Amino acid sequence: MEVHTENYMGGGTPLACLDAIRRDFPISLHGVGLSLGSAEGLDAAHIERIRKVAERIEPGLMSEHIAWSVVDGTYLADLLPLPMTEEALAVVCRHVDQVQGALKRRILVENPSTYLRFAYATIPEWEFMAAVAARTGCGILCDVNNIFVSAHNHGFDAAAYLAALPVAAVGEIHLAGHSIRALADGSTVRIDDHASRVIADVWALYRIALAQFGSVPTLIEWDNDIPPLDVLVSEAAHAGALMAAAAATALPDTEREAAHADAA
Amino acid sequence: MPTLLEVQRAMRASLVDRNDDAVAAMLPQGIGADRLNIYRNTFLVGLTKALSLCFPAVRRLVGADFFEGAAAQFISQHPPRAAWLDRYGAEFPDFLQHFAPAATLAYLPDVARLEWAVNLALHAADAAPLDLVRLGSLAPEHQASVAFVPHPSVSLLGLDHPADDIWRAVLDGGDAALAAINADAGSAHLLVERGADGVEVLRLTEPAWRFARDLVAGETIEAACAAADGADVQALLAEHLAYGRFVDFHVAEAAHGAAA
Repeated sequence: MEVHTENYMGGGTPLACLDAIRRDFPISLHGVGLSLGSAEGLDAAHIERIRKVAERIEPGLMSEHIAWSVVDGTYLADLLPLPMTEEALAVVCRHVDQVQGALKRRILVENPSTYLRFAYATIPEWEFMAAVAARTGCGILCDVNNIFVSAHNHGFDAAAYLAALPVAAVGEIHLAGHSIRALADGSTVRIDDHASRVIADVWALYRIALAQFGSVPTLIEWDNDIPPLDVLVSEAAHAGALMAAAAATALPDTEREAAHADAA
Repeated sequence: MPTLLEVQRAMRASLVDRNDDAVAAMLPQGIGADRLNIYRNTFLVGLTKALSLCFPAVRRLVGADFFEGAAAQFISQHPPRAAWLDRYGAEFPDFLQHFAPAATLAYLPDVARLEWAVNLALHAADAAPLDLVRLGSLAPEHQASVAFVPHPSVSLLGLDHPADDIWRAVLDGGDAALAAINADAGSAHLLVERGADGVEVLRLTEPAWRFARDLVAGETIEAACAAADGADVQALLAEHLAYGRFVDFHVAEAAHGAAA
């Protein structure tokens, strides 16, 4: 079970429900408000709120995003795109170090879905992700839908993106549905809205990811226009079936461990 | 090349102030404003949803379109200061007080004040009630000097309008309940708390409300009694303790010193 950390920062019923779920399932705390890419530094009060939720829930995984949402003390309530520059990379790495120090554990960072890029970006996004993992020791939450969405929006190769990620760093996969919007110039933009089924092209990309990363814990994100539970369960079952099929055709464990060691 | 901070300030201007000039200059040629609109839309829709969850009765009273218009103005004037949206909207009641299109709905800000208190109670931290054995073991001469720490969910509201009646009629009652409301029925003295069965909104007499307000503000029992003339303070104190409205206490310094 994965929840947004920010929804459990108070007490009362939400936290009591999460406590009850925690008794039966491991929990992944997935934050959306830390703003790892903020030029002005992290909000110490927010880190402390996250630390308290983690202390109570003892999550199996904790993750955040390669994005920013806070400037001049204003929280912009969205995962906003970073310019992929050496300055942004240094800021993100400093903040991942700070958070891992405060939480005394490794976190995963998720690749973003973006709808615009900056003119002077110098680092391809996949290299940026790999560099954050290499410099800080953090893991990567590989959002396969986000890769597909951003590849369409910016014209890069989704499979090449996957191939560039360090295998040993990938600790979780996200899948989700997205929508398509027509723009004034006649092009289309894909929007990661977690409001529908995973599309066939994204399932195909997931198969590639499984072949590359092995049986990594996978989450279906569906938090808008939430469907009947059986629809969600069938999406999760499909992901499980693909994972089982990939494991059956994969290398024997000893060889895969050797491959992981090489990649690390 | 602009710095990261310059990029982020330019994006803030686009989202909050609806001014795309600075950020547009940082994008590749030919990138349309409609891509910026995607982000502006997410910002506005997300925060409007947060306000709708916090102020459902206000939204019903004014209608969805009016609410969204008010929310858009509020969001640009008071964007969130923290990534904790359960605590977003504290300034909304006062904003409505000065929002000219809502001027004829004099009771609306009071309904919003009640909804904000309910929201705070809903998400307040958990805290164990005061162990009454500790209080009972206190020397009799110190009892009048006791000052309590309230449960995080408890708050007191003194409102000019019967916001509790309006709030219940809007959320639980039908049109008949709403039609029966007299919005000019006078002031309401309310205690809001989170109990075992969820958030409770209780109507108190004015002396009982003053007593509770002073205790929750950390006044000593003696001082709170002095301001609660006409109330049965012993019964009220017993009720506050029985409902777990206090989580800790201390004996106030000055009186403590005098007693010693």
